[in-house]
Amino acid sequence: MFRGKGEPLCRKVRGMLSEYIDNSLNSEDKSFIERHLETCEACSKELESLRVTVQLLHRMPEVSVPRSFTVTVPQPRRESAFGPSSLRWLRPATAIVAIVLVVLLMGDFLHAFENNAGVNSGRGDATYVQLAPSYAATEQQTMVTVPGIMGQMSLATAKAVGYTEYAMVPSSPVSQPITQPIPSVLGDEGPTGAQVIVRGEAGVGWPLRQTEIGLGAVVFVLLALIIFARRQRTKGIGAG
Amino acid sequence: MDEQELISRSKDGDVEAFNLLVEQYQRLVYNLALRMLGNAEAAEDASQDTFLSAYKAIGKFRGGSFKSWVLHIAANSCRDKQRVARRYHIISLDTLLLETDDLPQDNNTESPEDYALRRELGRFLNEGLAHLPEDQRLVVILSDVQGLRYEEVAQVTGSSLGTVKSRLNRGRTRLRDFLLQREELLPSKFRLNK
Repeated sequence: MFRGKGEPLCRKVRGMLSEYIDNSLNSEDKSFIERHLETCEACSKELESLRVTVQLLHRMPEVSVPRSFTVTVPQPRRESAFGPSSLRWLRPATAIVAIVLVVLLMGDFLHAFENNAGVNSGRGDATYVQLAPSYAATEQQTMVTVPGIMGQMSLATAKAVGYTEYAMVPSSPVSQPITQPIPSVLGDEGPTGAQVIVRGEAGVGWPLRQTEIGLGAVVFVLLALIIFARRQRTKGIGAG
Repeated sequence: MDEQELISRSKDGDVEAFNLLVEQYQRLVYNLALRMLGNAEAAEDASQDTFLSAYKAIGKFRGGSFKSWVLHIAANSCRDKQRVARRYHIISLDTLLLETDDLPQDNNTESPEDYALRRELGRFLNEGLAHLPEDQRLVVILSDVQGLRYEEVAQVTGSSLGTVKSRLNRGRTRLRDFLLQREELLPSKFRLNK
């Protein structure tokens, strides 16, 4: 703003004027400034204007606070089971259930849980049946259901089409388990005396689909609880 | 109860002790926020955020100047508000005509005329401060308006002493230039070129 003749020297001095005003220069720099100011009117004016600016800033009025900024902390209360601290166990629990669910879904997708030993599927629609030698004569009257096919068909039809997995209809005359050994009815060979294995829908020893749905619901509920607990935590401290 | 004891009790969760510290520093924090943001509402928010953050973080306070620590949090709160204001294009310069409806500094010695002049000057200086870059404005406010030492300013801003001196020098010079360009608007008593 104020131009001096010895520009480089003036620039150096002006870079130190602020500290000179605050009296924070060492004695050597202070003497250097003062010597320069004696001979440079422009820098003296610069110093004076800066000094007045600083004085004006010192005189700036302070503003009163419009309100108090004190803080309040809610009174300690009995925390619900799903309060902020429950996040400690909610997160790992959710992770564990989610991992189990993923493993189950993958196993289901890859048919890893199908049980060829023919145990009860849990639905009650698949039975471990041994048929009497007289089975051949009655297979036309024996009604079965085939997984993935709507309705019922006779056992003879199922065999003719080539289905190897079917479930006896409970009302069928030969649906009751018979302990006497009979030939196998698997494939087209007809009864051979081996055990007949009739598999259920899932082919596992426990209700897989229901378990998957149940675990999915548990994961959903746990996630909702985590969100709830996080919101509770952020509500903890407030303005006064 | 001295400040160290209040801090110690605040660390133990004594909110009443902490609120005594709030009452001690809220004016300083609010004035910094008001001059940095130029908006009374934003300054209130920033001040409240400052003390809430300070209460949550009081356990991490490792001694030193509590004033510098609180002002450091306040400066960060202001930075956050400015970031939001920039994002939503909130212009705060209108605010610089701040309501400096404060009591006269020296009730016994300051005449009503002087008080009116000082208020007028306050408005003008606020406008000048608003024209400074944020880093220079913060240093000028802390040093020249709030009277902090260089070392304290360095703590609040998290900068080196050299940076503080440099920003202060540039800030003062820029503010001086602003005032000189509008000198005719200044009360004659406060004109730079008399």
